[in-house]
Amino acid sequence: MRILEDEKKHLRIIINTAVLLVALVSFTKQKGVLKYVSPFESVMISIFAPVQGFVTNVQSSVKGFFTHYFANINASKENMDIKRKLSALEGKIFSLDEIEKENIRLKKLLRFGENTFTQKILAQVVAWDSNSDLKVLRINKGSKDGLRLQAPVVTHNGLVGYIYRLTGHFADVLTILDPNNRVDGILKNSRSHGIIEGYSGAFCIMKYVSSSNDVELGEVVVSSGLGNIYPKGLKIGTVTEIERQSYGITQYLEIKPTVDFNTLEEVIVLNAKDDHLKKIEWEALEAMDEDEETKK
Amino acid sequence: MSPNLKWLWPLFKTVFLLIILEIIGTTFLPVIGLSNYKIPFNVMVVLFLGFKSDSPYLPIFIFVIQYSHSLFSVEGWAMGTIAGIMVCAIIRFLKELLHLSSVPMTILLTQVFQTVWFAIVSVLVYSKVDNFSYLTQKFYRFIPESLIMSIMAPLFFIILEKFWSGGEEGRLGDEV
Repeated sequence: MRILEDEKKHLRIIINTAVLLVALVSFTKQKGVLKYVSPFESVMISIFAPVQGFVTNVQSSVKGFFTHYFANINASKENMDIKRKLSALEGKIFSLDEIEKENIRLKKLLRFGENTFTQKILAQVVAWDSNSDLKVLRINKGSKDGLRLQAPVVTHNGLVGYIYRLTGHFADVLTILDPNNRVDGILKNSRSHGIIEGYSGAFCIMKYVSSSNDVELGEVVVSSGLGNIYPKGLKIGTVTEIERQSYGITQYLEIKPTVDFNTLEEVIVLNAKDDHLKKIEWEALEAMDEDEETKK
Repeated sequence: MSPNLKWLWPLFKTVFLLIILEIIGTTFLPVIGLSNYKIPFNVMVVLFLGFKSDSPYLPIFIFVIQYSHSLFSVEGWAMGTIAGIMVCAIIRFLKELLHLSSVPMTILLTQVFQTVWFAIVSVLVYSKVDNFSYLTQKFYRFIPESLIMSIMAPLFFIILEKFWSGGEEGRLGDEV
């Protein structure tokens, strides 16, 4: 009996140590920028994600039924307002079409900002990450649909995030609300640069904006194109709070994303024409990181 | 000593239940506009196993639970496995003092060990992100999430108890 107990104790110590060591090594090697999946994980995610999609659809339909029922009460009044707005917007679109054509002509003339995002893939949000610390959402398109890791994800309202984990038919998007996601942004009016990070789950903060730059509340922030992930000019959010310290050289800005993440149902993935160059750049950056780590 | 594989079937049932709960958790709360809060069902299952199981294979159970959880979260399995093994080691160390004899005790102990779990995970997260405000935000979310989890724990422990009642070990505080 005693021998059996001792054997059990030894086995417990060995298994505890082994699993703990493997977990520690895996945790240390985990990278914040990308996540590769094993074939097994890919298969398992492909099995469970459709179920998530189905449950989301059922819940959305039930919610939509009640929402529409209550919305119908004021529908007639809203319809009149919408029609008025629509006619005003139609006029605006006409003038914007002209500006767009002019813009294309001028860009061609200058060969400026070559448009590398040719493919736009529409995807449906099927679930959110099961950990509330991570602002990651799952979409129903994957590598089989042509998606690539680190492809930017947007809606008509602005930037959502980028593809962080990819399987055959599904992908996980690291949103701009997540603190691990950093976007180089630029203020539209003052043209000041800064780094935007996820903060509270509903807001982002913009860091490293020089104190000497005059920033206004409500100013729009767009992506600057730096950082090798997002193209230039994607709308990120608006400034809702400015925190300026008298002794600091930078100021902190609270940014409210233009995308409403609470009601997000569909997104667009922007696929690059050819990410061969991008891949080489990433490999070079990773090699530099590894060199620095070895030096340390 | 030949390995006792009695735990395979209860573990399979537990993983199945966890997957159902994860699917509900990742889809239901976001649809009603609560995408900032998630109920950590994986933590509850690991805590139950820590309270219940005396098996030397407990770290493997924790790994399986965390790996299943990682299919629904980019958090991965490693951090939860480290925290789970440490929390279960503490539970084992204090086994003589802990008794899940009543509903309030179950709620209290679940809350206490969720806090220990939170502390371990916070240290690991801080070692990676080096950002204290991130931990503050995490703490504000942890309070409501962990309270809901603790309140739900007695009910879920009864279900999990049914899965694991065929095992040779008794629950914490029981005479075995």
